[in-house]
Amino acid sequence: MKKKMLYKIFAVVLVLGLLLGACAPAPAEEPAQEEAAPVEEQAPAEEAAPAEEEEEEAVMEPVTFQVFYPVAVDAPIAAILNGYIEDFQAEYPHITVEPVFSGGYGDVQTAIQTTIDGGGEPPALGVMLATALYDLINADYIAPLDGYIAAMDGGDAYEADFLPAFLANSYYDDQLWSIPFQRSAVVMYYNADMFADAGLEPPTSWQSWAEAAQALTVQDGDTTNYGLHFSSDWPYWLFQPLAIGAGKNILEDDCTVVFDDPAVIEAVQFYIDLSEVYGAMPAGVQASWPTDPPDLASGATAMITHSSGSLAGLIAQADFELGVMPYPGKEEGTYASVPGGGNFYIMKGAAQEKQDAAWKFVEFISRPEYVADYSINTGYIANRASAYDTEAMLTYVAEVPQALATRDALQYAGAELAVQNLGQVRGIFHDYIQRAINGEMSAADAMAAAQVEAADALADFCP
Amino acid sequence: MQASRKNIKPLPYILILPTAAFVALFTAWPVLLSIYQSFFRQRMNIAKFREPVFIGWGNYVDLFTDPYFIEVIKNTLTYILGTVPISIILGFLFALLVNRKVRGIGFFRLAFFHPMVLPMVSAATIWLFMFTPDYGLFNAALRFLGYSGPENWTGNPSLAILSVVIVAVWKNSGYYMVFYLAGLQNLPNDVYEAAALDGANGWQTLWRITFPLLRRTTLFITIVAFIDSFRTVDHIFVLTSGGPSRSSTVLLFELWLERFEYQDIGASAAITVIFVIVLLAFTVTNFITSDRREA
Repeated sequence: MKKKMLYKIFAVVLVLGLLLGACAPAPAEEPAQEEAAPVEEQAPAEEAAPAEEEEEEAVMEPVTFQVFYPVAVDAPIAAILNGYIEDFQAEYPHITVEPVFSGGYGDVQTAIQTTIDGGGEPPALGVMLATALYDLINADYIAPLDGYIAAMDGGDAYEADFLPAFLANSYYDDQLWSIPFQRSAVVMYYNADMFADAGLEPPTSWQSWAEAAQALTVQDGDTTNYGLHFSSDWPYWLFQPLAIGAGKNILEDDCTVVFDDPAVIEAVQFYIDLSEVYGAMPAGVQASWPTDPPDLASGATAMITHSSGSLAGLIAQADFELGVMPYPGKEEGTYASVPGGGNFYIMKGAAQEKQDAAWKFVEFISRPEYVADYSINTGYIANRASAYDTEAMLTYVAEVPQALATRDALQYAGAELAVQNLGQVRGIFHDYIQRAINGEMSAADAMAAAQVEAADALADFCP
Repeated sequence: MQASRKNIKPLPYILILPTAAFVALFTAWPVLLSIYQSFFRQRMNIAKFREPVFIGWGNYVDLFTDPYFIEVIKNTLTYILGTVPISIILGFLFALLVNRKVRGIGFFRLAFFHPMVLPMVSAATIWLFMFTPDYGLFNAALRFLGYSGPENWTGNPSLAILSVVIVAVWKNSGYYMVFYLAGLQNLPNDVYEAAALDGANGWQTLWRITFPLLRRTTLFITIVAFIDSFRTVDHIFVLTSGGPSRSSTVLLFELWLERFEYQDIGASAAITVIFVIVLLAFTVTNFITSDRREA
């Protein structure tokens, strides 16, 4: 009987232990909140104390917040960010930053969404696409940043220092909602040595671009080394400079898209012609984003279209002179590009002291020397004008003039596709442009159908 | 009455309490919540639809009258027909091949099984490189075997669904092989001796003795394979992003699109309910018919 009793007690203890173990709270959240509470209770009692002392008391509350970030390009982002966080924590010892690598931009947004919609506390800071702005505002996830800018010394100068092409994506309804972080532009990388060997100049128009790509397409045994690789499995971003170069961007504002504009259709047709007429590119949709930089570096192709964020990786891998330029436009001597990349957003649902601490971090990491350092080590474009005057950056561009070329591409940039109901509208655009590229529909028919569906998708969102 | 009270032992119930709690919390509750949410219109990325509005069967009607959704259903059927039978047959073949006491057979068993151990996203990334036209390993191997057709596996709308089927079959066959191997090794030897005495050849032994004896294993594997073909879409994210032109978008991928790209909570709840109904119908039918056979 005793044995049976012991057996039962053991079983119950085991079960309770499992239940408790399964319900253990998340490590960081509880201690931070418990520590903050008693200190907060003391602070009001000391209101009579001089302002500075009070500020010191408030500042010293230990705070921990999380930042969800993606890695979208070929660079050691995690290691770099960890270095910056260490510097930040040295300067602000009471703040602890927990970086959480979350996959791609979409994954970061998904992770944050599920946390908020499940009733949990989101991370105070997230790095998400600059174009996600409207979706995030409409879903009431993010906090406006005007208050912080107004409260900082030289806030106006700070805001004005960001490159306008990047900061443009942060405004809505006369408020500032995000700060540029890892921003890029679409560029064309080319093998300058191959061009020199073939006696070609870098292209300056669609015509010379197509002809150069055709000339640089060579047969290597039973494989073809095409002159140009142009990824199209997530097409809108790499495609936009073609439309801009033809004279019309695919959107006009957050509620108006113009997929069926003749210039846009011409751009789609040019993409198709590059393979069908010139034989300079693989036919059909190219799912080649991850393989294009290694292909260029190994000499399997002469030109690729890619993010400026891949610059550092390409320079490390290429044993030839790497050329960087915006897309040639349709007319001779014109060029085109489009910005991209991610911004810092502060989540409304996080505790206020975490949001404030997160702002301190954003302020820290957007100092010119850090902006320059990040750009040098990743190839993302330094998003502040003053970063280009720092010593590190001046030395770097002396060695690697391509870094300035990526910034200069921005002067030819149009706006990145950022509209209401972005996911659905972008999906419609992808669907139809891929049908056109794969030859299932003509470019004109595909874009006309896309415009009808996109306008329908925007109807509910726009007045 | 005293006797029946004595017979109710609390111990078994206490022991299954954790599992029951998890199932209730993570399976039953979300299903009920999804059924509830599917009758409302709610989209998170537009202020006027953030609060749920009752629309009855509206979400279901919208889904089944949407030509895209019908296409998604077709893609899903293609995907299931591609992965389930082929991976089961391959699993059976592999098990037959490795069911022998030869030195080094362990290496082959490992070779067939190891895809199951790899994380799907990593494996899919490697396959993405192998599917590269011209010099990708997959295409190089096909050309060596005399293939000269289209090679753009992830970019060609007719081939995209095949590419995800191939990766799924590659990943799962080894897993089913293990079940069949266990089944094969538990078969009684006397049946085979009797068959040999009666003069049965290899083919007859296989189809009239081995396969029928493995009926329970096959039933189990079919259920697992069918459910898994609905559940696993990680490789689609990596390989094709559901494209090109949505030709490789299957039901679970569409569910992700509705919930996280279009922020449509009502539609995604409706798709969840469809999911649950289909899988429940399949599982229940299987159990009922197998019970009948037993009887």
